Amino acid sequence: MTTLAQMVVLAAAGSALGLAANALSPHPAVLAQAILSPAEAGGGSCAAPSTAPAPAPWTPARIGVEEAKGLCTACLAGFVDARGAHEYAHGHIENAVHLPPAGHPDEAAVVAQLRTYSLVIVYDGDYSCAVADDVARRLRRAGLKDVRVLQGAWPAWVSARGPSQAGVCGVCNLEPFSR
Amino acid sequence: MRRLALAARIALAGLFLWAAGTKVPDMAAYAESVANYRIVPAVLVPTIAALLVGVESVAALALLVRPWARSAALLLALLLAVFTIGLTSALARGIDLACGCFGGSDQATWWTVLRDLVLLALALGVAASSPPSPARPARREPDPAAAP
Repeated sequence: MTTLAQMVVLAAAGSALGLAANALSPHPAVLAQAILSPAEAGGGSCAAPSTAPAPAPWTPARIGVEEAKGLCTACLAGFVDARGAHEYAHGHIENAVHLPPAGHPDEAAVVAQLRTYSLVIVYDGDYSCAVADDVARRLRRAGLKDVRVLQGAWPAWVSARGPSQAGVCGVCNLEPFSR
Repeated sequence: MRRLALAARIALAGLFLWAAGTKVPDMAAYAESVANYRIVPAVLVPTIAALLVGVESVAALALLVRPWARSAALLLALLLAVFTIGLTSALARGIDLACGCFGGSDQATWWTVLRDLVLLALALGVAASSPPSPARPARREPDPAAAP
């Protein structure tokens, strides 16, 4: 048998085996059904917004107070206070930087400092953590990879007697920045 | 040299059997990967996907049988050439797609093209080092002079 004839035999046997394997597959391809790529079917990422479902907003993962306390003591995480300037000045997590949800005039410098940490923890003053979630999303958009939100917020930190300090933010323009 | 050729045959056979094995559990997903290349008509996509998996399995097995090694290697080289052209065409058109090579969702890149070219060279090397299948001896006509 020539090489070409052998190739034809192999292709024929392979075709038969392929169809049999498809029939036996737990998730077979339906042979009678045309399959379009998502782009051709109108479901790709370039599709009009009205036809593509809106992606769910990213929800930052939570971190417990006890775990955060350990990371704070060991200086293994950057902390971000998302509350107002007066609340921050009155008391905040040790070495936390102040980033209110409305933005910060020198945010690039603050974000650059946070980049030195592999983990950044954001907190606010409310148990719902809604403000902290917003700031965490902003930091994520700025390129920080691991951003989490402190469970229970500032009240939980105070209750757990986490290390804290008072005063204005040392790395955020030295002046308290109001919302 | 012989051992090297044998090692290349075994490596290629193992690779293609593994590639086929990863696709069989979810043929529907593999068919979608094939569709994403936007080369095959949509109606033929599921059939082509099934045939590709079968042909690469059989060719890989035949690669281990010496008289069939040359034709199997050439068939795999043909498949790899088709894969390379498909990948290059998709990447040149800016299509962001998963390779579909090993049943996962690995992103197709120019490195994937390079990998396929290396495998293509290997398959051609195996084909060149494998002897052609022995031709069937021609049937001898009876010699009338030798007849009693």
